[in-house]
Amino acid sequence: MSTLMHDVVVIGGGISGLMASIYLAGKGYKTALISRGDPVCCLSTGCIDVLSTALNPLDGFGDLSEMHPYHLVGKKGVEQACKLFKEIMSKSPIPYVGSIRKNREILTPIGTFKTTCLVPQTMAASLGCRDEYVHVISFTGIKDFYPSYITSRLSNTGFSLYDAGVSSTLAIAARFEEKGFAADFATWITGLELPPGKVALPAVLGVNNPVAIMEEISSRINREVFEIPTLPPSIPGLRLFRALKAAFQDLGGDVFWGMPISSVERHGHIIEAVTLATSARATRVQGKAFILATGSFVSGGLFATRDSVYETVFGIPVHVPGARKDWFWNDFFTAGHPIEEAGIEVDSSFRPKQTTLENLFVCGSILARSEVMKNHCGHGLALATGLKAAKVCERKLT
Amino acid sequence: MSIKTDVIIIGGGATGCGIARDLALRGVHHYLIEKGDFASGATGACHGLLHSGGRYVVNDPEAAHECITENTILRKIAQKCVETTGGLFVRLPGDSKRYRDRFLKGCDEVGIETSVLSPSKALDLVPNLNPAMEEAVMVPDCSIDPFRLCMLNAYTSRHRGGNILTHHEVIEIIKEKGVCVGVKARERLTAQIKEIRARIIINATGAWGDKLARLGGSEVPMTLSKGSLIISNHRLTNMVINRLRVPSDGDIIVPNEAVCLAGTTSITVQDPDNLEIDPAEVDLVSTQAEQMIPSFGTTRLIRAYTGVRPLLKASGTDGRSISRGFKIIDHENGMFSILGGKLTTYRLMAEKMVDVIMEKFALRTTCRTAELPLEGQDELSGYPLSKRLSNMDDIVCECELVPRRIVEQAINTMGTHYVGDIQHRTRLGMGPCQGGFCTYRALGIMQELGKVSPDLSLKILSEFLQRRFKGIRPALWGDQLREEQLVEYIYLGILNMENA
Repeated sequence: MSTLMHDVVVIGGGISGLMASIYLAGKGYKTALISRGDPVCCLSTGCIDVLSTALNPLDGFGDLSEMHPYHLVGKKGVEQACKLFKEIMSKSPIPYVGSIRKNREILTPIGTFKTTCLVPQTMAASLGCRDEYVHVISFTGIKDFYPSYITSRLSNTGFSLYDAGVSSTLAIAARFEEKGFAADFATWITGLELPPGKVALPAVLGVNNPVAIMEEISSRINREVFEIPTLPPSIPGLRLFRALKAAFQDLGGDVFWGMPISSVERHGHIIEAVTLATSARATRVQGKAFILATGSFVSGGLFATRDSVYETVFGIPVHVPGARKDWFWNDFFTAGHPIEEAGIEVDSSFRPKQTTLENLFVCGSILARSEVMKNHCGHGLALATGLKAAKVCERKLT
Repeated sequence: MSIKTDVIIIGGGATGCGIARDLALRGVHHYLIEKGDFASGATGACHGLLHSGGRYVVNDPEAAHECITENTILRKIAQKCVETTGGLFVRLPGDSKRYRDRFLKGCDEVGIETSVLSPSKALDLVPNLNPAMEEAVMVPDCSIDPFRLCMLNAYTSRHRGGNILTHHEVIEIIKEKGVCVGVKARERLTAQIKEIRARIIINATGAWGDKLARLGGSEVPMTLSKGSLIISNHRLTNMVINRLRVPSDGDIIVPNEAVCLAGTTSITVQDPDNLEIDPAEVDLVSTQAEQMIPSFGTTRLIRAYTGVRPLLKASGTDGRSISRGFKIIDHENGMFSILGGKLTTYRLMAEKMVDVIMEKFALRTTCRTAELPLEGQDELSGYPLSKRLSNMDDIVCECELVPRRIVEQAINTMGTHYVGDIQHRTRLGMGPCQGGFCTYRALGIMQELGKVSPDLSLKILSEFLQRRFKGIRPALWGDQLREEQLVEYIYLGILNMENA
């Protein structure tokens, strides 16, 4: 078995783990990022929901439960994390727009508006589309996008269907990256002779260079274009993940992808190493500090049995909101079922409360009482707690 | 303007559909009115077990005898609905040996063929069985598809002059001079009302029997017994598994397509509507199932469901000890109620009911439902896996491999605007995600085909999600909980549906 030495080992390749890894690698620490597979953010809209319960997300802090992890980060910490995130993304092919002090609305595939905070530039023009003509374009055979939902809800809309020759969102995105495809598409739109207004389409404008593709189409048809996020698998979520992963690798970080952890070495109050199950020889990754960013149930950081919940890597005690019969409300549409409270309770240094472990820090949606659906704070919480956990970990290393 | 017919059947479960078929074969004009889709009451909410009769043989030999007779008939006439799995009654350590002796004697007396198997022989047949069992008894239990059974019975009716109205709720029984002469039925979605008049009205509404009888000014005494079941994500047995003991909670497991159904509980309720499943019922059934098939405890559960057994009223006894026999009540006002019974004996119940109708009409045509195979079996032969696997283009439901073409075909041939109708007929949404992904798509396709407006389809989608959650909620842990949180994210996080 080969051993690899690192300053910090981050477990979990989602937004919080990536944010923590990028910060630490940027500070010169030798950082390893371990992930069992592509993260759940690939299924997301790609938008950064910070807190959707108030017009200014920071004003929503007062409505959060007393023990919400945001309080451990503070408003300033959330602002810093978003600022750093925008800086990172500004160097990527998909810069983000928006202000941490003002939420915005984006159009959804069923014609409702979703409140969010920071959005990829390809969704910037979604703002204010209630007030002007929007022409929705869909693609032949696409499974999860039915423009009539939108055209029936918004008064001033039209729609057309374009045949890209393929029908999955990923395949259409690949078509947009072929030379000349965007130009042909733009020529077709021009031929539609639309009334003045914007053009909206499902988020398929390529995976690698969406802003450039959008700008090319926009300048050819001389009107604003924007993307509407789609159901999973979501291309804006995939782009976000890839951009952050690339940023980490550019800083010299080591990634271990598709490798579940098979064992943990613990010595007293210290975690010394984890072993990765690979198809070849097992790899042992040793670190001075560890950051747990494995997410909640969907990403597999937590797992529920018939009557309990456990944490899947270290077996740290989990805060569970009562018995199973109390985990969910009867009504599907009451966002924030009690089970959302499940997670790891941490102290102000983001160390798990119910253990004596000294070199383990926890961040992201695995934190107890984060209530991501109730507050619509998923990616915002990941960024803020990811950065904060990295900073307290940094203090431990120096 | 009112429609005229001879007989109105209310209720589209196995009994109602069976009566419609029988009437059609005897040349009597009729209307069947069902407030939901076929099999939406107890018929669709049971195990889908075609009893050999073994379960009743000790306590109710008469019911057992009916079961084995009907079991033999249905295996012959309804081949496309019945999977002749065979069944095992498994005796576990601690289960009474005396009961086993009475069981074997009873089977012998009513004519249920048995063979006693050693644990190793039984394990050979069903490797997932609890190896600690004492022995197993093989009986001719089968798995039956109740929905398909109703469809095929209705098929004969439709093709022989009968009329079937699903999604129509009877809101009034028209009475003239104290006699029931017709009904008013309201279409569920459009609220359009039809008036239908007939010489005889049959109340075959199962658990809703008393509610319906009261519309006509009568009452029918019934005990409503709620039974909840769970569905595992795997077919853990190819045979029906029963516990060899006095019938009790959670002692039957039935294989069905790619899954297994386990149940049930027995809890007396007052109202057949708005049933809730308590997570404790799920725990009870899965712990019992686990005793017969240990891997049931670690297998992902897709959901739970519940139905109400409409049992004949008997005072002072609990649901399990009440006879599973049936009864025809003449309200002597033009209306009859047919009550009790069970899926296995639906044909016999229909025969007896129609005999009474024929007598009233002074007609002599005899019943042929036991001899003639169900019509339409070739057309409604389903969509077997072999076909699904060879047709992977444009899949709408990834769990059950249903392509868009099949969905469109179902929408067009039925002209339906009920998404449940499509799900029942194509298996769309029956897999692990329980329609979390594909229902949105099916409704999109219905919009494109001009069957529903976008506003209406959002309403249907939100009702569907509520209904779906009701079944999933009591069995949420493990991977099913993971999947559910993703589905919640889609509708509340991406689509912002709570504000639609």
